[in-house]
Amino acid sequence: MRYKEYNVNRVLEKCIQLFWVNGFRGCSVKDIVEVTGVNRFSLYHEFVDKNGILYNALQLYRERYCEDKFNILKETGQPNELLTKFYLSFLAEENIHPGCFFIHIGTELADTDERIKILVKSYLDEIEGLIYQLLKQDASTKHAKFYARHLTGLFCTSMSFCLIHTKEERLQYISNGIDVILNKYNSYATST
Amino acid sequence: MPQALNQTYDELVYKAQSLFWEQGYKGVNAQELADHLDVSVSTIYNKYTKDMLFMDSITYYMNTYSDPFLSQLRASTEGLISLKGFFYALIDALLDKTFPRSCLMVNTVVEMRNENQEVIDLYKKYFDALVNSYKVVLDKAIELGQIQHPEKKEEYAQFLLGVIFSLSILYKINDKESLQNFIDERLSFIV
Repeated sequence: MRYKEYNVNRVLEKCIQLFWVNGFRGCSVKDIVEVTGVNRFSLYHEFVDKNGILYNALQLYRERYCEDKFNILKETGQPNELLTKFYLSFLAEENIHPGCFFIHIGTELADTDERIKILVKSYLDEIEGLIYQLLKQDASTKHAKFYARHLTGLFCTSMSFCLIHTKEERLQYISNGIDVILNKYNSYATST
Repeated sequence: MPQALNQTYDELVYKAQSLFWEQGYKGVNAQELADHLDVSVSTIYNKYTKDMLFMDSITYYMNTYSDPFLSQLRASTEGLISLKGFFYALIDALLDKTFPRSCLMVNTVVEMRNENQEVIDLYKKYFDALVNSYKVVLDKAIELGQIQHPEKKEEYAQFLLGVIFSLSILYKINDKESLQNFIDERLSFIV
């Protein structure tokens, strides 16, 4: 019996870094072979094709890098503070790459690759669901859904626009965005 | 004998920007660029470099795609109603592929961030033009009494600046109706 001589997640981890820096189109299978040290035949055997590597890399990113960040939205506290902390967790200096891998790949490929489109959509739906749960404590279902939709929109903006901001600009931009969106939510929440 | 170039530089930029818009900066190598422009690779290495063509593609984008949109917006007279029309037109351009892939500037921000000083300078120019146009419309809206908190103009202009970024992702996963609804709701935050 032949044993796999490499660890699948370790290969995918290297691919996440590679795609993040060079873009998916910007790297060839040859680059992937060089970076991972796994030959073409084994890669295709495991992942079918280059796109298969990307789908699995997105899944690993979700499992490995998003859990802690998503959990911020489950903490107890003021929604605006938790939301700020949530957005900023993706942009923190200590991350290997600031931003969100899903938005990065979605920007590049979600209009040409149906599978990527579905993965990005379900990822954003998950975020919207978590924000909804957070806001539901103080608002009606209808209102919470409305605000969650727009705070997810702000997530998309933060994961793209804020990449070129300084730390201060980014904090300012995110708090301003949350304030404008939640302005009415707060008056609504306190009046009930 | 060196290959005679039977295309003007402007024609090359015109062709290059469509490729960069579809594939990004890093997703295009010198060979692909040469093939797409119908020139030799040595032309790309020695005469019109990828970087040079890319910078000029962004400028072309600003002049051809975004400036006409924005000057129309600045000349508009109906405040928030004009602003809504502007975003609806943008949604149409994204969905019918007049803008083949998102907004070229948004793509560039995500792809290149702050890696290149020349690109950073272009961001500034582009975002200033956007924010200034939003302010002009907000002034109209204030004049028309459409906005309850005129003192928040700056914040609102910044807030509106973010819309093009969220639309650039959201148009890929939502239909036209929900995108228009998204815009209506976004604008409701600033009334």
